[in-house]
Amino acid sequence: MRLTLRAQVVLVALVLTVIPLVGYVHVKQMERLLREGQEQALLATARAIATALHDRPQLLELRAGEPASGEMALILRSLARAESRIWIVDRDQRLLALVGDLKKRAGTEEPPDLLTRFVHPVAALVLERPTEDFDDSLPEAEIGGSVAASALQGVPARRWRQSPDSRAVILSASHPVWSGDDVVAAVVAEETTHATRSAYNRAMEQVIGLTLIAFVAGALALLLFASRISTRLVRLRDEAEAAIDLQGRVRKPLAGSAARDEIGDLSRSFSTVLARLGEYNRYLEAMAGRLSHELRTPIAVVRSSLENLRLQLLPAEAGVYLARANDGLKRLDTILTRMSEATRLESLVREHPRERFDARDVVRGAALAHPGKRFEIDVPEATVWLRGAPELYAQMLDKLVANAVDFATGDEPIRIRLEPRGADAALTVSNRGPRLPQSMAGKLFESMVSVRARESGAEPHLGLGLYIVRLIAEFHGGTAQALDREDGSGVVIKITTPLNSDPGS
Amino acid sequence: MARTVAIVEDDAAIRANYADILKKHGYQVSAYGDRKSATAGFRTRLPDLALLDIGLGDEPDGGFTLCRELRAMSAALPIIFLTARDSDFDLVSGLRMGADDYLTKDAGMPQLLARISALFRRADLLREPPAAEEVLERGPLRLDMKRFHASWRDAPVDLTLTEFWLVHSLARYPGHVKDRESLMRDAHIVVDDSTITSHVKRIRRKFQAVDGAFNVIDSVYGLGYRWNG
Repeated sequence: MRLTLRAQVVLVALVLTVIPLVGYVHVKQMERLLREGQEQALLATARAIATALHDRPQLLELRAGEPASGEMALILRSLARAESRIWIVDRDQRLLALVGDLKKRAGTEEPPDLLTRFVHPVAALVLERPTEDFDDSLPEAEIGGSVAASALQGVPARRWRQSPDSRAVILSASHPVWSGDDVVAAVVAEETTHATRSAYNRAMEQVIGLTLIAFVAGALALLLFASRISTRLVRLRDEAEAAIDLQGRVRKPLAGSAARDEIGDLSRSFSTVLARLGEYNRYLEAMAGRLSHELRTPIAVVRSSLENLRLQLLPAEAGVYLARANDGLKRLDTILTRMSEATRLESLVREHPRERFDARDVVRGAALAHPGKRFEIDVPEATVWLRGAPELYAQMLDKLVANAVDFATGDEPIRIRLEPRGADAALTVSNRGPRLPQSMAGKLFESMVSVRARESGAEPHLGLGLYIVRLIAEFHGGTAQALDREDGSGVVIKITTPLNSDPGS
Repeated sequence: MARTVAIVEDDAAIRANYADILKKHGYQVSAYGDRKSATAGFRTRLPDLALLDIGLGDEPDGGFTLCRELRAMSAALPIIFLTARDSDFDLVSGLRMGADDYLTKDAGMPQLLARISALFRRADLLREPPAAEEVLERGPLRLDMKRFHASWRDAPVDLTLTEFWLVHSLARYPGHVKDRESLMRDAHIVVDDSTITSHVKRIRRKFQAVDGAFNVIDSVYGLGYRWNG
């Protein structure tokens, strides 16, 4: 599976999820503290009330629902202001008084800040929002419940419980009311967890908001960075690929980036490598020309010496050696001629004028030079106009045919086919014979590359024929390709050159 | 009196070998290894024919300079470039300097001797009053086989010796396709196909300079050329 750089960075960015996690843990911790604080506060409230009611016999005269009098009324009224519900129960578990309200009075909610408002919809999905719409009745069971009972035993207690409809959590704390050494009643203070819950929610919303911002900003920054690197790498790759053609030749040098980082370095070293490769290729391509030039002088020495020898009076057996030397010289000549042919062509195609010609005329004559071989020539009915030089096209075809003749096995005729394909003319020369060697794929059209097995005594093969083919194909604005036949029974060399549709040019 | 052939060649072995062969063929030879001694020698006595190498020692174009100097001294002196270079550029430059022909060093002695004797024959005839002419006429083409002089519609066409032989080879049997092999044989050259191609191209251009409508030399792709006159 291909994992792009961008995808990898996104994966790395997942590390950032630790930020919300830390935030969550922190808020949880805070909630725990808040709840503890609330418990302590509520317990303190209960204790304070219980202390206020110590040794007050009027207390026991109170009855829930009936108005109190005197000092008791004063105390109860002041209690009612607290944001909690307070009830008092006596030893017989009769409710003596019930003041305050679990529900919050409206208008105390502080206005949400910008961030909270922004995060609200998201947070709402995960956070439980406290509601004021819950059943705040005091169930009968609670009056005789464990919290009150514990206080009546003289031990303060606290408890978390659900509201009867389970829509709110209620915290209750109790404290005994002493009269002398006896517990006469128990004060129970109750509160919902709404305040803590709200604080918790607010904190949670802030954490979510902040981490979301941090996460998004961090991820975006990373993504941008990765995109930039990836774009630069892709551009470098494309440039490098475009710089070298299928035959491994340097098409155009790489500019080399000016960036002062590793990718810039890479680009620059690519550029250097390509430049060197280009030089080397040029060196190789010029080699044939230089060699033929350098070899001419010593060969002329040998030849003229032999010619002088021939004019001497020589013993009979010298004739044999003279003939052998001449033979060797002739072979050297063939090599030189081939080499210089390629070199001459290189300079020829640089300035050769181009004309419009019908490729069919050239192709029809292809077989003439090889009278002993069978050919199957297939040209279309309509003219195939090309722009270039018919002599050079003929020379190219001649090389292709010579190549096919050399590699052909069996009696199957060599197939030469010219056909228009879209905006191009495709010329294929195909012969039955061995497949192309895999290792040489794409190199066949280079100078001095030959796939022929060495055969002693045979004509020298310098691997310049297909190089010449390539030069001429390129002169015609086209390309040369060597392919195996689809059924593997032989080889097809295909020359694709653009058609010339404009008679005026 | 034996004719003098001057050889200017910087490679001592080739120089000596060529001098020996030419001497054996009855020529008097003066051999020079560099441009200075050659110029000095030519000032004293002009040879009857000059064989020049293009690169002379450390002067890559010394032969060209020498050719210009020789031409200035004598308009009729036959000059042949004999060189290891074979690019079209060198060839054209050499011929523009006024050389009569151009051979690469891998051409054998027979090719060189054929040229030398042909050029001497022509030089002789130019000096003598016009006698019996040996002329090949093909329509507007007229080839003077002794003076190696070609004309088209009575206008002279300035061909080199090699080019003249090529035209003659083609025009002798109009309508017949001459393949490259026999063209080379007739023109006393051993070269590759693309050299023949550029020779023919140059011939066409020279005729077209005289007559823009010249289109008598046909290319028969894959085989050779044909005179269509």
